[in-house]
Formats: sequence, structure tokens, C-alpha cells
Amino acid sequence: MPLRSSVTIVVSPRPRVGKTLLARMLVDFHLHEGREVAAFDLNQGDGTLAQFLPERTTSAGVVDVAGQIALFDRLVADDGVAKVIDLGNESFASFFAVAEQLGFIEEASKHEIVTAILFVLTPDASSVEAYGTLNKRFAGALLSPVHNEILGPAPHRGKYPLGRGALLLRMPLLAPGLRKYIAKAPFSFADTGADSGIPADFGVELQHWRRRMHIECRELMLRLLLADLSAAIRFVS
Amino acid sequence: MARPAVILIGADKGGVGKTTVARTLLDYFGAHQIPTRAFDTESPRGTLKRFHPDVTEVVDVTAVPDQMKIFDTLSSSQAWVTVIDVRAGLLSSTLQALSDIGFLESAKKGQITFAVFHILGPSIASLDEISETARFVGDANYFLVKNFINNTTFFEWDPETYNSYFKRIKNAIEVTIPKLNEMACEQVELAGTPFVTFVGNKTLNGEPANNSFVLRGYVRHWLGNVWAEYDRSKLIDIIMPKIESGSARQAAG
Repeated sequence: MPLRSSVTIVVSPRPRVGKTLLARMLVDFHLHEGREVAAFDLNQGDGTLAQFLPERTTSAGVVDVAGQIALFDRLVADDGVAKVIDLGNESFASFFAVAEQLGFIEEASKHEIVTAILFVLTPDASSVEAYGTLNKRFAGALLSPVHNEILGPAPHRGKYPLGRGALLLRMPLLAPGLRKYIAKAPFSFADTGADSGIPADFGVELQHWRRRMHIECRELMLRLLLADLSAAIRFVS
Repeated sequence: MARPAVILIGADKGGVGKTTVARTLLDYFGAHQIPTRAFDTESPRGTLKRFHPDVTEVVDVTAVPDQMKIFDTLSSSQAWVTVIDVRAGLLSSTLQALSDIGFLESAKKGQITFAVFHILGPSIASLDEISETARFVGDANYFLVKNFINNTTFFEWDPETYNSYFKRIKNAIEVTIPKLNEMACEQVELAGTPFVTFVGNKTLNGEPANNSFVLRGYVRHWLGNVWAEYDRSKLIDIIMPKIESGSARQAAG
């Protein structure tokens, strides 16, 4: 895909909504597409992206200036590497405060990098409000709502005013028996062969789920490409 | 012809950030496309000269030839604004010299716009200078600048004492320079460029630089806040009164 370069930020102000799983899938998708990818983990505790994909992931923070430089200067670097950020809920506010003050989205687009914010939808009022705020404050980014089916059939319905053309990314429900296999870090979705310890029928099921996720990711990348193109067209005219 | 404006930046104490304030002013006037020149009195080697070499000349403000260089050229210079960074300890004597050559008189008559930026230090001692300088600058536009750039714990004096000094100068304008992150501050020092050049990620020669995006962001945000202070104090209106600047533009065109 002729996409120049992308930064995808997986967010929610709530814990335990599937952010890390989605971030893992995004990394897997980029690798599957033959793209270079770097992941950044802003989480504490267990089951973090850095534990699942230690070779691809940098633990990051935005509390001090040194951490901000390590993260944001990497994000806007002209290295052609796709970047995925797993933004823990405890860093949600501070990350976006810093990003706004620095003018991150604008700087990224100067470097021909498009930014997507993947927001995992939950029915609570604080999430609805945070979504609205991001929509206003980061107009230059593609804000894409995510429905994680494990959170219920449609936790967002009637609560999130999804604009026309907004892409709702769906995370299909994973068969219950499969979860234990993918919840043990480190784990790569690309590596589910016979020696991975996953029974053959589960392996097939997992690959099926992975493919559905890839379709969703591809759709997202297409939206990013379109957003990028339409911005370029506006610029020319 | 525009009425020339002179801005004196001083403090009787060193290390309170005069040059930093001078640099923000040069950037500010640059952003408003106001032709400006600067004199650095840190003779023989000036800090201001290092950051703004194009517009800065190093002078000894106490020597007559250099006084001529500054004040005899006010009307003939291309620059509308002259910024003078007065070395620590020379504010009172510079004002005395300006009084002696009749400069303050011209300012009183309205032939020259004159402003003083008095950078305050964190100790009570530097407040004594206010009364000292007050007697010279009755009609000057007097800016009292609290410089927090390197400092979080700044003024620890009793507000009553502060106000009693502050009131000695009629119509003094209070300006606050907010704190700039140390690392950002240090990087601009190392780069040796104007703040706006650092933000624009360029070197002094206009080549692309490799400054940290995060630190550029900090400097941009900080400089925006400093300029907002200058906007708030209506600095442009003071140095270029509306009618004057209108006729000046005609003359220039």
C-alpha cells in the first residue's frame, strides 16, 4: 500500500477494554503486510505490550521531558517505520496534553505521517466525553471508534455521535477456549504452528480470527490513505 | 518619519536574564516585521550578539564614541526600534548618561519613544534599584519584568514591601516571563540561535537543523506565552503609536 507512514494510537480512558490486544493485532498486521513496525507501550503492570512483543516494543512515558523526547521525537522521525502506541488509561490525559502542547499531529503531517486514534468504545459518560474532546482537539488525526465485541453487543449505541463516514472498527469475539493461548506473554500471532502448543483446531480458529482482524486493519489503513489523499487534494486546489 | 523608539533592558544585578528578555523582544519585533537593531553592552564579547549577530552590535555604553553610535543614529537608522541590553550594574549610570546628553529630555518632549525593561532579581536588594532608577524615568514606559525562566521559587518577599516599591513608578507595567524547561533552555543555548529559529528547526545560517521536536514544542509554547505578555502590555502600540506608524508606512512606501 502506498501509504507514506502512520502512527496509530490505541486509547481508552478505561482499563481492561482490549487496547493491548488491538495494539498486538496492529503490530501483527503491519508485519504481515511486510512493513517495518515499532511499538510503544505506555502501561504499567502485567500483560503489557512490552511483555507480549518484547523485541518490537519500547516502554515509554510522558511524565518527564527525557521520556517525552524518547517517545515523540521517535514518532515524528522520517524513518518510514509504522508506529503503534498502546496508551494505558493512566497515561491517557497526560499523553494528549503533551501531544497538544507540542503540536504533535501538525508536526507529524509535516513529515508526511498520518495519525490515527483508535478509541475503544465503552458506555460510561467519561469515555463519551473524552471521545468528544479528542474529536475537537485533534481534528488533524483520524479518530476511529472501536467496538470490541467482548464488551457487549453495542455498548456505544446511542451514546457516541459517530459522524458520517466514520469507520467503526470491529474486534470480533474470540472463542473462549482460545483466550488462554493468546493471553500468555510473550506471544506472536504469526507463530501458531504445530510447535506453538496450540491444538490444531484452535489454531485454525485463531488464524480465522486473525484474518478478520487484518481485514479491519486494512480498512483502517485505507481510511488513513483516503484522509491523507483528500488533505493533499485540498492543499493542491 | 517614524518616531524612533529606544528600549533599555537592564538590571543592577547579573544573572537575572536580561539577555533572555532581549532575545524574546528581538524575536517579537521580528515576528511583527518591525525593523529592529540591538546593542549589546557586554563589551568586548556579547551574549546577545551570539544569538542575533545580524542586528546586534557590541558597544561600551559608557564611552562617548559608542554613545554617538547609538543615539546620533536614531533617526537615520533603518531600524525603528533600538534595543539596548545594558550590562549588569550599569542601568543607573546609563540612565545618568542619557540624562546628561539630553536624551531623556527628548523623550519627554515626545521626539523619541523611550521604554525601560527593568528585569527584577529574586532578592530584595534589586528592589532598591527601582527607587534609584525611578527618578530618571518619570515619563518612560517602565516595564517591571519578573523573570521566571530558570526559576520556580522566585519572589519570596512580602507583597507589602513589593507594592510599596512598585508604586514608586507611576504606570509601571508588570510583565512575567514564565519558566522554560531546563533542557529546552539548554538546547537553545547550545544551538546559539534566536528562539524562533530554534522552533523553526533551522541553524543560524538557515540550514535545516536537527533539534528535538519535543524541545522545539516547549520553546514554541513558552515563547507564545512570553509574546502574549507583550501583547497584553500593548508593547507594539507603545513603541509605534497608531498615527505615527501609519505615516511611517507611507514614508517607507
